[in-house]
Amino acid sequence: MEQLLLPAIDWLAVLPVGLTSILGLVLLALGLFVDDDETLGWITLIGLAVTAVATACLAGQKSITFNGTFALDAYALFFDLLFLVAGIVVVLMSMTYLEGTGIPSGDYYGLLAFAIAGMIVMASATDLIVVFLGLEIMSISVYVLAGAWRTQLRSNEAAMKYFLLGAFATGFLLYGIALVYGATGAFRLDRIATAVGDTPNRTMLIAGVAMLIIAFGFKVAAVPFHMWTPDVYEGAPTTVTALMAVAVKAAGFAAFVRVFLHGFGGLHADWSMLLWVIAALTMTVGNVLALAQRNVKRMLAYSSIAHAGYILVALVASGAAGGTAALFYLLVYSFMTLGAFGVVAALGSVGEPNETLDDYAGIGFRRPLLGVTMTIFMLSLTGIPPLAGFAGKFYVFTAAIREGYYVLAVIGVLNSAISSAYYVRVLIAMYLTPGAEEHGRVARQPYLLTSIVVSAVMTVVVGVFPALWMQLARFGFLSL
Amino acid sequence: MDHVLTWMTFLPLLGAAVVLCLPSRRPGLIKRVALLSTLPTFALGVRLFAAFDRATTAYQYVDRTPWIASYAIDYFVGVDGVSITMVLLTALLCPLCVLASFGIDKGVKGYFALFLMLETGMLGVFVALDFFLFYVFWEVMLLPMYFLIGVWGGPRREYAAIKFFLYTFAGSVLMLVAMLVLYFGAAPHTFAIPELAGRGAVFDPRTQQLLWLALFVAFAIKIPAFPFHTWLPDAHVEAPTAISVILAGVLLKMGTYGLLRINYGILPAATLDLAFWSLAALGTFNIVYGALCALAQTDLKKLVAYSSISHMGYVMLGMAAFTPQGINGAVLQMFNHGTITALLFLLVGVIYDRAHHREIAGFGGLAGVMPVYTGVAALAFFAAMGLPGLSAFISEVLVLLGAWQRHPGLTIVAASAIVLTAGYLLWTLQRVWLGRLDERYAALPDVDARELATLLPLAAIVLALGVYPHAVLDLIGASLGHLNELVRAGAAAGVAPR
Amino acid sequence: MIVPTEWALMLSAVLFAIGVIGVLVRRNVIVIFMAIELMLNAVNLSFVALARARGAVDGQVVVFFVMTVAAAEAAVGLAIIIASFRNRTTVNADELALLRG
Repeated sequence: MEQLLLPAIDWLAVLPVGLTSILGLVLLALGLFVDDDETLGWITLIGLAVTAVATACLAGQKSITFNGTFALDAYALFFDLLFLVAGIVVVLMSMTYLEGTGIPSGDYYGLLAFAIAGMIVMASATDLIVVFLGLEIMSISVYVLAGAWRTQLRSNEAAMKYFLLGAFATGFLLYGIALVYGATGAFRLDRIATAVGDTPNRTMLIAGVAMLIIAFGFKVAAVPFHMWTPDVYEGAPTTVTALMAVAVKAAGFAAFVRVFLHGFGGLHADWSMLLWVIAALTMTVGNVLALAQRNVKRMLAYSSIAHAGYILVALVASGAAGGTAALFYLLVYSFMTLGAFGVVAALGSVGEPNETLDDYAGIGFRRPLLGVTMTIFMLSLTGIPPLAGFAGKFYVFTAAIREGYYVLAVIGVLNSAISSAYYVRVLIAMYLTPGAEEHGRVARQPYLLTSIVVSAVMTVVVGVFPALWMQLARFGFLSL
Repeated sequence: MDHVLTWMTFLPLLGAAVVLCLPSRRPGLIKRVALLSTLPTFALGVRLFAAFDRATTAYQYVDRTPWIASYAIDYFVGVDGVSITMVLLTALLCPLCVLASFGIDKGVKGYFALFLMLETGMLGVFVALDFFLFYVFWEVMLLPMYFLIGVWGGPRREYAAIKFFLYTFAGSVLMLVAMLVLYFGAAPHTFAIPELAGRGAVFDPRTQQLLWLALFVAFAIKIPAFPFHTWLPDAHVEAPTAISVILAGVLLKMGTYGLLRINYGILPAATLDLAFWSLAALGTFNIVYGALCALAQTDLKKLVAYSSISHMGYVMLGMAAFTPQGINGAVLQMFNHGTITALLFLLVGVIYDRAHHREIAGFGGLAGVMPVYTGVAALAFFAAMGLPGLSAFISEVLVLLGAWQRHPGLTIVAASAIVLTAGYLLWTLQRVWLGRLDERYAALPDVDARELATLLPLAAIVLALGVYPHAVLDLIGASLGHLNELVRAGAAAGVAPR
Repeated sequence: MIVPTEWALMLSAVLFAIGVIGVLVRRNVIVIFMAIELMLNAVNLSFVALARARGAVDGQVVVFFVMTVAAAEAAVGLAIIIASFRNRTTVNADELALLRG
């Protein structure tokens, strides 16, 4: 009888994704029996924290397994930890936010765990098919999460739009993979990297790369593939929006950076021009449209588009400096954005989203903690030193200037200046606009406030002492 | 005196943290703690003044530790003759301003915490010797100022605060780009200002001039030089008294300080190339323009604000002379303007607290009811006019003497503008303090002890420096001589001056 | 009959384009979804043709992945469409205009 030959598998490499998947299954099952939302939240928190610790313990390991399609390296670990920490913060936010929404906790947390598992697969994937699988595991979970608040029309609508556009993007991703396969005969990034130099079918290859840019462009919300973003971010439950704006985007970039700087590194001259234009458009359109928003959640959606543009600048610059800057920026961006959406969640309540600038009037005095932390997040997003956002932009623009992309750097810096106008408007609303005097009883939000304070502290710490975090990003990138 | 500059800079921040921890229902305690937090910095400043080595051109009390090693960014502070005068001015004005703010009754905790953060930012700008650190402090300062104007300001505070924020932020964005280009131009890459000295020469003259102009715009917004000045009257009119004092006394100096430290030090050739139009001519224009605008004002505070624009013009003119007198006079004028304008704004604050308006036409004959107040006011107005025996006289004469050797035509215009200055100041003095007393103000109380405590130290300095300007000139002489040589030598090595 | 690989690729490209156009111009959510399925299957055709031309199986294996994922997507997608339909009884994309800015 013929024997099956399984490739040697390094099970340590799949530890993070394995643990999160098991967590997801456990939560789905527990959701049937456990009614207490808080208990389920704690189980998720503990599960994610254990996974994060286990993942951190893998530091220093380097291996490629599953026949060269799944990597355990510092790059993957950097992103795994980013997803897990973002997941923990989102769970903390959700433990307060879910109260009274009627969203079933077991399903919600289970899907959250699966989404993170998908992201981890994306960060580790060294094969286009595995990238596709990870992307789908993540996306399908998030489609459902976006529509988790079933009784809310806008949540339905967000899920629907996200699903349709996401599936549309999947089509492009697959077509891109097919064309690249046609030109190089490979799915594995290392084989693609060696084959791109001497492919007889260059047109097909370039078309495939362009398709992949479109697909990733959808996932990271780059202009002109961003039109779904504001609607989906505004309509989804705020905690899910935070997850989408931070972790989903980071996962998109994790795969984007690995595929393009590793697999298609040899084609930099070809794709960098296209990305140059996309980066410039993304920053400018994101910021300019954000100027017109009165709804803070929607404004943050446009701001997240703009920030994708800054990360694309780093990607265009490429090289060690650009890659490191992209990773560092994602880290920085994650905390400030999580915090900002946390504040949005904290100010809303079931039936009263309180998301417009008018609702923010006088918040700085009525809810001082939220006022101060939101100030930190807005200023950090603007890029004011010594907050983390400044350090991130500094590294990105430095990388661009180092590689000679002066014009792109200037466009980015000008965009920073434009963005100050709408971020500052939130501060104006919070502190300078007289708000309603009535002091409604503010619900206790211990978990949510914890998540906000954690994000604020990280935003300040990373900003004042960026060297250590930069070093982590550098390790991560150099392990590619 | 280990790490004295670091202590001076960050003690107020520590004070801010303490203030934030105090209960907000005890405003009196908060005010006292805030005052107490500014005093150690002032005391250290006095020690620094006494111990400062006046003979050397090197940076003193240097503190340097790596901060972000991968970009060669250091925490690098130190003072030379130029910065120490500004540090002293800041350390002196801050306690006075805290004292002058004791009347604040809304959001006391936030106000004083922000004020102390502002002090840290300002001192940081003056002591930073790493361009990156300089930029960080420059931005740090922006926010407390924004909130102090925006929350505690007058009726149009929101507009004024946003205008201030956007102007300054736009300027600093330009500075950021120029900073990065300079960083990559230097080999090895560095942000350290002493090591960048003269390094602008690696670029071709055209790039140097572009860099210079980018930096110039960033600083000119702060000075503020025409046409970047329009935020200033708004900000001044809306800001609470103490904040106006800080704005005029310290923040405006950052513009000219930045020019001396960055533009002169790093891009000497471009400095010589561009100084005539962007500093000398524009400065002279500012002198005349500020004075004419001041003549037209009906609001006392706005008048003082425009007089600031006019007086800062002398600083620009003096700087552009590249003669020892001119440049020494310019820095002395920076210090003197800091004290005199602070005094003027405090005086305006005193009358505003009593009458609740600032319309010049609404007053008259105050000399009769407020003799002490009138005495200090007369001193301040005469000092602003440049009367001999008072501090500004020396600095303005030095500026004009220095400028005469290089730009005689402009000097004549600038000197003639003194007539305008005397005109608006004397006219105001006459309308507010002399003449018929309005019945409404017959019972106004004279300055109280707290107000006097804010006014007298400044008045004393104005008198003292009028008699003995060497107290400041000795501090700055060596460093400025060195800087002047650097510009001339750098220009000789780089591009030939016009 | 021998079909050149190029023909298969051409057909796949045409189908894909029809799918894209369908997504962009049709307003019925169900039809949009069908157009997306058309795109995926066009890609499958490409995979099979390219793998065949190379004489390799890996490209053909991918088709199974795509089909599985498409099935999962269809399940979730239809569930979302039904949830939305229950709340507002329409499947016209133009009427999903609550979120607009």
